[in-house]
Amino acid sequence: MQRAVAAAEQLAILALARADGLPAFAADGALSSWEVFGQQLVTGLSNGMIIALIAIGYTMVYGIVELINFAHGDLCMLGAFFALTAVGALGMSEWGGAGGAVGLVSLLVATAFFCGALNWSINRLAYRPLRKASKLSLLVSAIGASFILVNLGLFWGGMPMDVFAGGNSSAAPKAFPALVEPEPAAHLGDVIVSRPDVLVLLVTVPLMGALTWLVRFTKLGKAMRAVAQNPTAAALMGIDVERVIGATFFIGGSLGGFATVVYSIYNQTVSFQMGYRMGMDAFIAAVLGGIGNLPGAVLGGLLIGVVRAMSDQYIETRWTNAVVFGILILILVFRPSGLLGAKLREKV
Amino acid sequence: MSAAAPRRIRLTPWAGLAALAAVPFIDALLPGGLRLEDPMSEVFIYAILALGLNVLTGFTGLLNLGVAAFAAIGAYAFAIATCEIYPFQLGFWPALGVTVAAGAIAGFALGAPTLRVRGDYLAIVTLGFGEIVKDVLVNLDTITKGTQGINPLPPPSFLGTPLEARGQYWLLLAFVTVTFVGVRALERSRVGRAWISIREDELASRAMGIRPDHAKMLAFATCAALAALAGALMVSRLSSSGEPGNYDFQVSILALCIIIVGGIGSVRGTLVGAIVMVGMNSIVLVKLSELVGSPDAPGAALDEAQGLAKVGVFLRTWAQNVLVNPTNWKFLLFGLALVLMMVFRPQGILPPRPLHEAPPEGGEEGA
Amino acid sequence: MTAILEARDVTMRFGGLVANERVSLSVRPGEIFAVIGPNGAGKTTLFNAITGIYEPTEGEVLFEGRPIRREWGMSDRVKGLAVGLVSAAVAVLALNASALWQGAIVDRYVYGEAFPWGEALDSVPRTLRESGFWLTWFAAAVGFAVARLGFGAIWKAQRRTPDLVARAGVARTFQNIRLFGEMNLVENVLVGMDQHFRSGYWSCLLRPPGFWRERERMRRRAFDLLKFVDLADNAADAARSLPYGHQRRLEIARALATRPRLILLDEPAAGMNPAESADLMKLIRRIRESGVTVVLIEHDMKVVMGISDRIAVLQYGRKIAEGTPDEIRNDPVCIAAYLGTEDLG
Repeated sequence: MQRAVAAAEQLAILALARADGLPAFAADGALSSWEVFGQQLVTGLSNGMIIALIAIGYTMVYGIVELINFAHGDLCMLGAFFALTAVGALGMSEWGGAGGAVGLVSLLVATAFFCGALNWSINRLAYRPLRKASKLSLLVSAIGASFILVNLGLFWGGMPMDVFAGGNSSAAPKAFPALVEPEPAAHLGDVIVSRPDVLVLLVTVPLMGALTWLVRFTKLGKAMRAVAQNPTAAALMGIDVERVIGATFFIGGSLGGFATVVYSIYNQTVSFQMGYRMGMDAFIAAVLGGIGNLPGAVLGGLLIGVVRAMSDQYIETRWTNAVVFGILILILVFRPSGLLGAKLREKV
Repeated sequence: MSAAAPRRIRLTPWAGLAALAAVPFIDALLPGGLRLEDPMSEVFIYAILALGLNVLTGFTGLLNLGVAAFAAIGAYAFAIATCEIYPFQLGFWPALGVTVAAGAIAGFALGAPTLRVRGDYLAIVTLGFGEIVKDVLVNLDTITKGTQGINPLPPPSFLGTPLEARGQYWLLLAFVTVTFVGVRALERSRVGRAWISIREDELASRAMGIRPDHAKMLAFATCAALAALAGALMVSRLSSSGEPGNYDFQVSILALCIIIVGGIGSVRGTLVGAIVMVGMNSIVLVKLSELVGSPDAPGAALDEAQGLAKVGVFLRTWAQNVLVNPTNWKFLLFGLALVLMMVFRPQGILPPRPLHEAPPEGGEEGA
Repeated sequence: MTAILEARDVTMRFGGLVANERVSLSVRPGEIFAVIGPNGAGKTTLFNAITGIYEPTEGEVLFEGRPIRREWGMSDRVKGLAVGLVSAAVAVLALNASALWQGAIVDRYVYGEAFPWGEALDSVPRTLRESGFWLTWFAAAVGFAVARLGFGAIWKAQRRTPDLVARAGVARTFQNIRLFGEMNLVENVLVGMDQHFRSGYWSCLLRPPGFWRERERMRRRAFDLLKFVDLADNAADAARSLPYGHQRRLEIARALATRPRLILLDEPAAGMNPAESADLMKLIRRIRESGVTVVLIEHDMKVVMGISDRIAVLQYGRKIAEGTPDEIRNDPVCIAAYLGTEDLG
């Protein structure tokens, strides 16, 4: 089976490589090399886990207020600036050993809190007054909030601090210090699992577990599911709907906060435009899995991460976006509600 | 029975049209910095784009976040059809025909496979389509010249004569007027009624015998054809296709904001929205930053300052870096405008007026 | 006499929930047929299965002796093939776009000279041959397969849709009124008349004289329908602003506008006062007199017993009885089903 998939992939790759007029595909052993494939798989899965964490923020909010929270990616971008500022102000890149580890955990938690609080405030200011308005108005408000956050990111990047290169060009991408050195941590055959990969795993998996526990077994989780199903009925049962929605925004935002720190460490760059890319990937992941569905978001995130990595390696980086979107459109044509999404059945 | 339904003639639209047509004459009296001809031309082009989007998103209720892709297809179809670096070299008008046809085909091509995809899922599909078209245009650089763009392109012409700036302004005004009248005609006919009934309640309209797939395809094609027309007019005016990055998500969002700020589903509102949003985007901010001029280089005094003074220097340097330049505030103002608009007037500036189908006069005679 | 509507062993299952189990009905042309039963008995589900909103899990629905569904005919086969071939061609061309363009245009075009169109066309097959046999065929096969499968998937999802059923001559109203709230009464009725318009897209855009004539004719007809349901005075009001009972009558007018031969009314008297119900009974009789067969779901026993020719009783998704109002009134099974909940009048 795997062999057949690989063969099909090889053909597809050949096909796509031709599409932009490459003279011939240079099959310099790259394709047959399982190590390269494995390495890309690790990178893809790591990125996929980060995307999944952000996608959960989209999907939670969508599940409860049916809003594509356009500002979510840009929220994560501001989280990255927050983290970078903290790293710069405290000189954290110099800390080593146990201090470094404690510092990293504190950074993760602080950024998560920052993003959660920011998301909560955005909900309060830009979405809550529109609870009775049409879904489209809510979406436009989210787009507006996204613009505001992008602009705040632009301002933030102009801060005259060393980490921002003195703020000489606020729009330029900033380098994020390698708090976790990209050194090998483990070898699986010839495939290297780096320390940032391990960091991704250590951060995302427990968080997803905790979230599952929260949604399944706690009172708040039960209230969230109730509000998602029927806000009116939930309110009649004595649930403070607005509080639950606020909590959802906080939790979704803080997951984005965790994700953005890991993302910045993993990719080592921060810019005020990164929110668009991050948000887009996560948004696609959420939709691919079936928006509103938590396991779907994780599945979608992993899929996007892996597809991206494979396309970068085997096709060409400049075609990757088109490949990702092409796959998304194809899947939606055959499964209009995403991979794990419930078939919509209208109440008549 | 009279052949034509009674039509009221209102003054406002005619007065508005006359005022817009007079702009070039008024401009002649104004100092250079205040002239409206150029910015208004941009408003007109965006108005055509937004009128197209209004058919799909406003009337039919299908959220399209990738309308810029249709504009890009139109722009490049026009550029390839007319530019002298390619052998086709069609005239302005035949090329416009090709462009509109290409747009409509692209609309069918996106609409047909996505008929079953609904709501937010459709939004992401259209968004993805926008990204794909942009990437393909960049990557197929043999054909599109990549980020370099295709130029030079012939200016708009009329009866074989190339038009000067003033003539172009009137031509664009004519295009907006014709588009406006056409979209309005569609809205007030069975086609528009079918679109709106799908938006209001797709299931009920199906149960009444409306074929949503058919109606949606028409909406897609109309939207795409108008967007392509807007794209072609834009590149013809600029004499270059520009780079594919010019037709990105920002453009789609601007078009969406125009119809929502104007009043979603409202044809008049779309025009008002175009003036407000494009005006803010490319007139107010541009003029403001011209007034302020470029900011000074950041001071190097930060290291020397001590204590509280350091905070002051820090803030001053920061302000000099970014805050004083109005174009740096663009997204913030844009975003604030959208959020405040939605919070305080979610229906838009000129919401659609319902009830345009009056009962027939003298409906006494029985069937 | 053949039945105008026949349900044969219709079963509707949603996961583990069985909403209808082997329900069979046979409605004769020109009669008024009522479906009654306690809440949750599966009456509306049955209507939905009849009108194509749901596809019956088992069993079938016949209208005038035939099932209403698209058959995979010659034209679908041709369309599917065409869609597949076009996509295959697009896939091949897209895959070689740069090379084709290079070979046909860039290599041949010299500024200011006449362009050799014939040579350019000739270069297309040559370029495709050079790009490799397998690659070209692979792309063509993938393009064809994806498009053809997509066409099939969409076609399959559209086999029996509510619009097809409505166009075949079965109209309905909804239990939870589904009018187009922002439209006025005339427009609501005009939506129902949509399939009978002759002017198409271009005619609506360019508005030749025929368009205006048809528009006037249709509006008059819509107005007449409003008079038929006694709503002519409110013709210019928004549907949303109507009182409840009037909205139910407007839904009936809108359904009649499709010119059905069979109309399904889902609780038409719900929320009406006795005087309104009495008017409604007269209206339903007039609909029947105009040659339209009526099937209705109703809880108001006065209405049901007063106008129905025959009645079917559903309980827990099964049909437990069928007969004339007198038979149902005296049926011990029905009395047991309704005991303590409602009086059978």
